[in-house]
Amino acid sequence: MTTIKQKFIEYNTLIIFIGMIILSACLSNSFFTANNLSNLLRQVAPVGIISFGMLLVILTGGIDLSVGSIVAAMGVGFALLSYEIYFPWAFLLTLVISAGIGMLSGYLIAYQKIAPFIATLALMTIVRGLGYLFSKGAPVNIGHHSAALLNLGAGDIFGIPYAGIILLVIFALMFVVLKYNVFGRIVMAIGSNEEAVRLSGINVSKYKFFVYVIIGLLSGLAALLMVSRTGVGSPNIGIGMELDVIAAVVIGGASLSGGKGSIVNTLLGVLILGMIGNVMNLLDITSYLQQVIKGVIILLAVVFQRYQK
Amino acid sequence: MIEINGVAKAFGGVKALRNVNLQIKAGEIHALLGENGAGKSTLMKILSGALERDNGTIHIDGEPVHYKTTQGAREKGIGMIYQEFSLVPALTVAENIFLHQLKKKTLINYKQLQQDAAKIIHDIGFNLDVRKPVYQLSVAQQQVVEIAKALTADVKVLILDEPSAVLGPAEIVHLFATLRKLRDRGVALIYISHHLEELFELCDRVTILKDGRSGETFNIAGTSRDQLVAAMLGRSLNTMFPDRNHITHPENALNYQFDNISLFQKTPVNFNLKAGEILGIGGLVGSGRTELLRTIFGADSQSKKSVIAGSEKLTLKNPKISILEGFGMVPEDRKKHGGLLSLSIRENISLANLHQIANKFGFIDAGRERSVVNELVNRLQIKLGSVNDPLSSLSGGNQQKVILAKWLNINANVLLIDEPTRGVDVGARAEIYQIIHELASEGLAIIMVSSDWEELMGLSDRILVMREGQITIDLPRKDFEEETLIRYAIGAHQTNA
Repeated sequence: MTTIKQKFIEYNTLIIFIGMIILSACLSNSFFTANNLSNLLRQVAPVGIISFGMLLVILTGGIDLSVGSIVAAMGVGFALLSYEIYFPWAFLLTLVISAGIGMLSGYLIAYQKIAPFIATLALMTIVRGLGYLFSKGAPVNIGHHSAALLNLGAGDIFGIPYAGIILLVIFALMFVVLKYNVFGRIVMAIGSNEEAVRLSGINVSKYKFFVYVIIGLLSGLAALLMVSRTGVGSPNIGIGMELDVIAAVVIGGASLSGGKGSIVNTLLGVLILGMIGNVMNLLDITSYLQQVIKGVIILLAVVFQRYQK
Repeated sequence: MIEINGVAKAFGGVKALRNVNLQIKAGEIHALLGENGAGKSTLMKILSGALERDNGTIHIDGEPVHYKTTQGAREKGIGMIYQEFSLVPALTVAENIFLHQLKKKTLINYKQLQQDAAKIIHDIGFNLDVRKPVYQLSVAQQQVVEIAKALTADVKVLILDEPSAVLGPAEIVHLFATLRKLRDRGVALIYISHHLEELFELCDRVTILKDGRSGETFNIAGTSRDQLVAAMLGRSLNTMFPDRNHITHPENALNYQFDNISLFQKTPVNFNLKAGEILGIGGLVGSGRTELLRTIFGADSQSKKSVIAGSEKLTLKNPKISILEGFGMVPEDRKKHGGLLSLSIRENISLANLHQIANKFGFIDAGRERSVVNELVNRLQIKLGSVNDPLSSLSGGNQQKVILAKWLNINANVLLIDEPTRGVDVGARAEIYQIIHELASEGLAIIMVSSDWEELMGLSDRILVMREGQITIDLPRKDFEEETLIRYAIGAHQTNA
């Protein structure tokens, strides 16, 4: 009896996930079409990629609110750069700048001991503002010789979108790092008891710094995926995206106080959140109502997990 | 008064309580004595309604009772005082005492409330301004409020879980006076404590709890300390400490010289330590004992000192470097600084050693980790279900062994141990003493800080006593005497000299 209950707790994100699939399939005939599933994967990829970085941040007991702003500003940044330099260089430079923004958060949080919420809140505003400044507030089309990039965002191989493949590759990398690598072990340990980790001779600041660099880099990658889908770098996108990302990690059962969370459940959380949006689109529910329903479902998922304990 | 028969409780496959029978009379203070893991806290949680029993009966005044919540237990007349208080700091004494009733009211008559609160406090023999917010009270006064709160219901049975743990000697006297008053009013008190002295001073009878079963019940009058320990452990007290009377340290043992360690910006202290030696450090709380260990280990930045091992100068400027030089520190506060409670036992043991079990890309060799961890678990006889269970699943003694294992894992040469047996029950204590003794025999140099004089004298080869950041005396084992040590700890040696 107890063991069944324990299994239930262990796999509750999976249970919600399967429940969502069944519900989605019942609600809409077009859910289980190859076209729609491929679309779903493409849609969730940016949030998903950032969620993996957010999981690391949350495991250390931190938070990063700047990711949506980075997505917008780096989309604009890439579009502008694409006129100036050969596009693979623009691509790389965008990633480097994103990692640089992450370094700034990491430096403020790990070495200047500023609370993660405050430091990244400030950066969220600053980076968003820079996006508007550089784009003069209007969307920027990418340069025509970067058109090859459009294939990355919109294209697929055997029906699996490139964006989805990138999502899964990063998932696999993170999975391995968290399960088998010292880095993952220490990130988890820091969230559990930072002082004990420090007294065990581990340079805690270094690890905290790097998780923010990673999430910055992944936000830049997400920006590139989004630009490459639409061909436009818009300073208005990604508003509230940090909340979707955090929601996905939390639906995946991670604790915001750190030390507890899993990458598999985070991926499930991303897909659950994605399916909610997807199926409501299929059902032609207005986006205003969608927001309300989404919020309620997030709440239900977390309450359900709490209830299990 | 309260009669417990055949109570049992299992968590999954673990039988926390097998068969407990207890009879507690009105107007007696009844102690429950047992090692950690014997089932005391499970039994208390069942009595107070925080847990449901699987089996057995509980009668109060001859009437069978069933309740499933603490509220239910309270209605049947059972009150519980936990180790950690459940008071709201910002509210006044009066508000805290009647917190349970307040929520049922829409308007509060503060005058009435304060009068009622003052009466309860007065009845148990104290004087407190009931309009004061709780955060302004001393710990002892807070405990009075906690007891008063329990008494707002018609309490027939009051359970106290290690109430003296947070109190100073003078405050304990007050607490005992309160408890005796309650006893004289006909309340049945169940008192849990690790301190045998207290039981002799306060209690009327004591029941031993062992492996989830209730054992013998003794009348305190006419029972000796040794009898109780023997009943609890199946062995006697003087076997607690390994024999260190005939230890000699070879002339050529590596000598560690610690110099110019300045604590609280006072005159620096100097001392030495030999490999294979156990150096005890005594002193009152706040005398600089913990700071001394942290300074040596480099736990806080900008700490000045000079450490010389043999002829080699060591710069222990942060924990990372200290660990590379073979120093390990077991901190005073296990939960805050020592253990990662939510992580597995395995992860805790390998935490300081990760780079030795990983390749240059940081990938951990799981097989190697497992074998290293298992070896340490066997060597220290850590009692556990699986090394993958969280550290929090272990008793205090076994948690402490895990922390020790972490340092053995890096092959430490010098171990700094702050309060080796805090929150560790008597049985596991003896095991930890044995481990420390064996480590010293293997050539480790050990500095051990403790508040327990008996422990210091039982295990150390030398004792330094500290007071206000200074070392007041350095005593060899043959001169150990509790009275001398205490005199140097409180500064009484100066007035006499």
